[in-house]
Amino acid sequence: MNLASLLSKDRVNLSLKPGKKDDVIKDLVYSIKKGTDAEVIVSTLLKREELGSTGIGKGIAIPHCRSLVVEKLEIAVGRTSKPISFNSIDKKPVSLIFLIIAPPQDPGNQYLITLGKIVQIAKEITKKNLIQQAKTPEEFIALINDIEKGLTKRK
Amino acid sequence: MQDVIEMHLKLLFDLDNLIADMEEPSYKKIGFKIEDEASLELIRKRNQLLKKLPQELAQRYEILKKRYRQAIAPVESEFCLGCFQKLPTELLTRSKDIITCPNCGRILYWREKS
Repeated sequence: MNLASLLSKDRVNLSLKPGKKDDVIKDLVYSIKKGTDAEVIVSTLLKREELGSTGIGKGIAIPHCRSLVVEKLEIAVGRTSKPISFNSIDKKPVSLIFLIIAPPQDPGNQYLITLGKIVQIAKEITKKNLIQQAKTPEEFIALINDIEKGLTKRK
Repeated sequence: MQDVIEMHLKLLFDLDNLIADMEEPSYKKIGFKIEDEASLELIRKRNQLLKKLPQELAQRYEILKKRYRQAIAPVESEFCLGCFQKLPTELLTRSKDIITCPNCGRILYWREKS
């Protein structure tokens, strides 16, 4: 499945309020779910972060988990104006965050495939220094699409 | 009280899926670093959460988890997504009680409409 097709412009926030890691994760979750469902997701994501930061380095983080409360793979993207501390593997702050929530029942293991794909795309974004490139959500989705096509051609 | 139990159940289920994913070879291949000590702490937290459930429900959850790996199944379009059997009409209205699938025995979960 094409990653760009899983993104929607209302889930791409390029002016996400910088803050503490937990608050930024919470803001992104609330763009997907509200109320107690959102609380369950936030709690699971923070437990996942305790296992080891999902900050993969060079300014990008990919918090992720499965949750009973979602019925399909949900992705939200946030970019903060100022980098925030995320305890990343390279200890550098983060400004681009891909948040992924998957349902527990997941035919074809779409979740792990998508997660792997986002890691690859994130590495391309950092390699080509593209974190600040997109000015609008539409541009961001187009950028992801271009990178994904490039990666597919290389295979 | 029922809402609190449901919240604990949902969290427990999500943590169990998190633990299962960490052990998946395809997850490990992606390359996220997992701290061993934190993994043990997660299992401790999961066990604490289990103790917060009424004893009978906790036991049932553990038996179902052992049998199916996932003890809870969402309900979608009148079907249990655990065994894909159509549910009897009397079960189709979301209830405040904890309900199990009459076919497979999994604990049923009705998602909130967003």
